[in-house]
Parts: sequence; structure tokens; C-alpha cells
Amino acid sequence: MSERSFAESDSGLAGLVAIGGLALVWETVGRLGISLFVPPLSGVVVVWWGLLTDGTLLGAARSSLLSLVKGFVPAACLGVALGLAMGRFRTVRLFFDGYVNTLMSAPLSALVPVLIALFGIRDTVVAATVFMFSFFVIVVNTVTGVRGTERSLIEMARMFGAGEIGLFRRIYLPSALPAVLLGLRLGAVQAVKGMVVGEMLISLIGLGERLIYYGNTFLITHLYAVILSVLLIAVLTSGAAQALDRALVRWK
Amino acid sequence: MDIAARGVSRRFGSVQALAEVTLAIRSGEFVTLIGPSGCGKTTLLKIIGGLVAADTGEILIGGRRVAGPGRERSMVFQDFALLPWATVKRNVEFGLLLAGVGREEREAAALRYIAKVGLAGFEDAYPGQLSGGMQQRVGLARALAVNPAILLMDEPFASIDEQTRRLFQDDLLALWSDERKTVVFVTHSMEEAIYLSDRVIVLSPRPGRVHEVLDVALPRPRDAADVRASVEFTRLVDGLWKILRKLQ
Amino acid sequence: MGASERRLVLGFRVASLVAFLLLWEWAARARISFNFPGPWPTVLALLDLVRGGGLLSATATSALSLALGFGTALIVGIPLGLVMGVVRPVGRVARVYCDLLIALPTAALIPLVILTFGINVVSSAAIVFVFSAPFIIMNAYGGVRDVRPRLVEMARSFNVSPLRLFTLIVVPSALPMILSGVRYGLSRAFVGLIIAELLLSPFGLGRLIMVSRSMFEHDRMFAAVLWTVLLAVGALALVSRLETRLMRWRT
Repeated sequence: MSERSFAESDSGLAGLVAIGGLALVWETVGRLGISLFVPPLSGVVVVWWGLLTDGTLLGAARSSLLSLVKGFVPAACLGVALGLAMGRFRTVRLFFDGYVNTLMSAPLSALVPVLIALFGIRDTVVAATVFMFSFFVIVVNTVTGVRGTERSLIEMARMFGAGEIGLFRRIYLPSALPAVLLGLRLGAVQAVKGMVVGEMLISLIGLGERLIYYGNTFLITHLYAVILSVLLIAVLTSGAAQALDRALVRWK
Repeated sequence: MDIAARGVSRRFGSVQALAEVTLAIRSGEFVTLIGPSGCGKTTLLKIIGGLVAADTGEILIGGRRVAGPGRERSMVFQDFALLPWATVKRNVEFGLLLAGVGREEREAAALRYIAKVGLAGFEDAYPGQLSGGMQQRVGLARALAVNPAILLMDEPFASIDEQTRRLFQDDLLALWSDERKTVVFVTHSMEEAIYLSDRVIVLSPRPGRVHEVLDVALPRPRDAADVRASVEFTRLVDGLWKILRKLQ
Repeated sequence: MGASERRLVLGFRVASLVAFLLLWEWAARARISFNFPGPWPTVLALLDLVRGGGLLSATATSALSLALGFGTALIVGIPLGLVMGVVRPVGRVARVYCDLLIALPTAALIPLVILTFGINVVSSAAIVFVFSAPFIIMNAYGGVRDVRPRLVEMARSFNVSPLRLFTLIVVPSALPMILSGVRYGLSRAFVGLIIAELLLSPFGLGRLIMVSRSMFEHDRMFAAVLWTVLLAVGALALVSRLETRLMRWRT
């Protein structure tokens, strides 16, 4: 998959046309009552507002975001640390890269039942799922960043007498920073996905639980409202990560 | 085949790349276009090739007006423009394929020209496996395989190291004297311009105009080692430099 | 890479695998949680499942959903991506939908799909489609968009027709990206399949995993999980191999 950010549209106009057009079609199809499973957009917005004001959404979202943070922060710290070690030291890389590479593209959701077996049906499972989903992406990108450091820069620093720590601080880290940030950005997107999957599978808390609940009780408009909320969180997370990226890497 | 440009102008946005360019190139002549950056030499080449349309004026090939690309004109590019997924043989066949030449004839022609540019044995190699000089030979073979009357070359040796470049220049001259095509050659290098051409056309920048035309009366064949060392050669290069320096 | 280097790398990978197995065995012995099976019981359970526990029929059901969903994603997605790349305005608008689908945690759509299509193979195929199609489409689109302008110019210098420009230049040029989109789409298809089946439950490997868990037959569950992951990894490795084979010209 190309690692360019697909979220950067060529033109804002196209975005407006696309979303505006979708909204229009959605509203029309809903009003016409063509399908039981497509309620009008206006109906969804009303229900969404209701869920927001009566606290359901906020309560569920708070729970979800808590799990998100509990899973993502360790994944980021450990992921970058392991990535740096793997990037710098060949032995470490050879030891771990088999797992990292295969697990990155494996259906990690299959491992969630294992997590349930380990932790029981608790919110820790969600945090663990978030960790799992985001960890490997972060590691892989960090490794790429470190290994992509220009040879000539390393040689230059060595000539000026830089030691291991100096090399790390002044050459490897700044050089790898764009890739690390990309990994964190992709990891954040994956983390949100892990959050939803984990919550849906244990069906206990958060937005994922709401999705299952409204699905089971055939409350379709409510279901759409929660889906839109999840999308909103995903887009905001991705946007925040992108803003951070741009702020930190101005020399690019 | 001869080439005539009459009052050719072209602008890109707010930049006037070429203004009222008029020149004539005789059949079988080797002519170089040279000038500072922004003088429009590549644009002029592409207009002659039919890739870019002129805003005003016309291009006459063999006395006839032309509006687009044609079989009598073939182009060689600075960055080789080879299809990375195709073998050397397939790359050389490309122009012939588009011209509708049948498979056997195409293959035979391709092999012939691959040998002519000195790449016999590399027919099944991929561009990624070749050096820059070899890739450009493929580009040249492709351009020659369609048997054009006119060869348009856009700084073809710019991406090649100097030693390979000198050998290449002699090879090009050998191929040219063999088939006497009309060659329009764009370059930044003054030595290259004088060494290769019958005439050097100097263009001035912003907007591009014909500034001066130099006759290069050096004897042919040029690959005799003395030419580069001769007084006449040095004088011509120096003269060209004086002209160009005033245009910077 | 010399022969001794290769042996070193192999040695490391083996050591890594052994370390993992030892860690797993220790975890089982240390009784980290209720009935946490070690490697050996898992293998035994796996053999058991193959022989009579329905592993193969579950695999077949899963494979069917995967084939339907992923196949449709390929047949619809690649041409759509190509069209998007050629007809730029369509591309610029349609990519917004793909971007949204890629950003969205697609699992959130599963209850909706289940409600719409019911609990059957069509549902899981639809979920597989939604998980994989956006990537396949975007990669085909990107592949067309990123064709080197120089190659287009070169073809035009030989007076190429628009159709031939597409078949001889655009498509071969876009092929690497299309294939990597297919590979990534397949990994996403597996992800969607498993999530769908874990939630849908009456079907396939996901069902097997959930049923084993609910009956606290953890060794069977682990076996099913291991089998699923290996299957997915194997399929992806095959596609990767195919990709390398087709892209022989890449240095």
C-alpha cells in the first residue's frame, strides 16, 4: 500500500462535491423510503443530536477513548523503542522482524479471543487490542526510518568524533523522524480500528458495544448515528496526527 | 529531409518561451541548438517534433507543414524514457510497433539496430540492469529503428559521465555519417556543440530568439584525435563562449 | 549474501522461533489464566480438529466468503480505479469516498451489513468486499495517476493512439501499484472475514474460534486461531511471490 496519505485530497472542491452529493442522495433515498435500511440523513442527524445530548454518546465515547489512550500510548513508546533498536542493530532486527512483518498484515482480530482468554471479558481486552493493532505499524515504519538514514551523514558525524549516543541524538533520530511520525499517524488510525473491533467483540463498553446493541435491536437510525460518530473520531484522530506531523517536520 | 521554422512563437502562461523564431536546416545537416537556461531550445525541439504546438508560425518538413508527430521525425530523450518493464529488444521495437510494422520485420530491425549501437547480446536485458550509457544506446536504437529522416536529440548525453560521453559522441557521428540523417541536437555543452555540428544556432533567453548562427568548418571525420586539440577547435569554442557569456 | 551469512540469518530466525515457543510454554505452565494451553496441547487440538472437528469445512466456508467478497472487489475495484485515473474529475470526487472508507474503522459497518443482508455468506462476502475494495481502488487509481509523464511524451513522439497509450504505457506502468493494492487488499479481506465471522458466529473459522471459547475449550480455540493466522499469512506470501514473479524487471 502506498504510504502517501490518502487523506490529502487534490482539491477541496472535489471533497465538497463528493460529500454534498452523498448527503443529497442519502436524504432523497431515505425520504423515498426505498429501503428499510437507509433512513434519511436528516433523521440520522436528529437521532445523533439526541444521543449526544442525553449523554449516551459522550459516555460511550469517553470509555472508548480511554481504552484508545491506554492501548496507543504503550504501543507508541514500545513500538518506537523496538523500532529504533531493530533499525540500529542487525541482530535485534533479525530476531524480531519475522514476527513484526507477518503480524503487521495478519488478521489480528483472530487473536482477540486469545486476549479474552487471557484477560477475561474486560475493558483491558480493548486496550490490548488497540495496542496490538497499532504496535506493528509503528515498529515497521520506525525501522524504515532508521535504516533510511543517509550513510554519508553517519560517516560525517563519525569523522567529527560522535559516539553512539551522539549519533542517535543528532543523526538517526532527526533523520528517522518523518518515518516515525508517519508510523504514529498510521498507528493512530489502526488504533481506532482496534478500539472498535475490540469493543464489538467483547460487547461490553464503549461505542463498539453501542454498535452491537443497536444492531441487535434493529434501531437502524441509531446505528447510523453511532457509525457517523465513529467516523468522526477516526477522521479527527487522523487529522490531529497529520497536524502534529506537519508541525514537527518543517524541514521537509 | 530539410526543416524550416517560420515565425514560431510559443508562450507558457505568462512566460514567452519563443518569439518569432525563423531558421532553416538543410537535409543531412547536423545542427546544434544552444543557449542559456530559459532560451526555449527544448521547446523549439519539441515543436519541430510535433509534441508541442506553436502559437504562431509554422514548421515545414521537406516543404510540407506539419502539426503533430510523424514517422519522419524521431526523438531521443535526456532521461532515456525507456519502458522499465520491457526488455531492450521490446523497447527498441516500440516505435515500429506503433507504426504498425509486422512482428518478424520488427524483430529483425530491432536486432539490427541493437547491434549497430553496440549492445549485441543485451537484447533480453531490462533497462534496470543497464548503465546510463547503455540505456541511452537503447534509446538511440529505438529512435533509429523507425528509419526517420530527422533525428531530434534533447540533451541526450547530459546524464552520462564524460568519458562515456566522448565515446558516445564519436559513435553518434559514425552512425550519422553512415545514414546522413538530419540531426537537431540540443545541448548545454559548448565543446559538444562544436565537436558534433555543421552549424551551431545560439538562442537568446526570455523570449527565445535566434541570436546568432555559427558555421563550424572543421573537417570530418571529427573523431580523429587532433580535432579536439586543434587551434581551430579551441578558437571556435572560445568564440561560442564569448557569445554565450554575454547572454547570461 | 554469502552462504555463511545466510546460515547466520537462518540461525537467528530459528532462535527467535524457539524463544517464542519457550515463552509460550512458560506462559502455559505459569498458569497466567484459566486453562491457557501450551504449544503441544494446541498442536494436538489442531490435529483433532482436522480429523473430525470440522476445521476443513469451516475453512471451506470461510474461503467461500473470502473468494466471493475479494473476487468482487478485484473485478469491480481495479477497472473502477483505472477509470478514476483516466477520467480525472471522476477520480477526484470518487477518491473522497474511498478515503472515508479507509479512515473509518470498517468493523463499525458490520452490524449494518448484517441487518441488511442477514446472517449468511452474502453478508460476510459483503463485509470482505467493503474491507478490501477501497484499497484496491485507490491503488489502481494511484498507479494510473503516477504514470511517468516522460513515457507518455515518448509514446506521443511516436504518434501513439489513445487506446494504445492506455494499453502499452498506462496499464504496465500502473501494474506494480495495482498488484501491491491486491496484496494489501487481500490482507484486509482476511481481516474483514475474521471480524465478520467472529461477530456473525454461525459460520466458518470465526465461528469455530468463538464456539471453542464459549465452551472453554481453549486448546481448540488456540488451534483454530493459529490455523487462521497461518492460513492468512500463507495466502499473503503466495501473492507476494506472484508479485515478485510478475515484476521481474524491478531491480
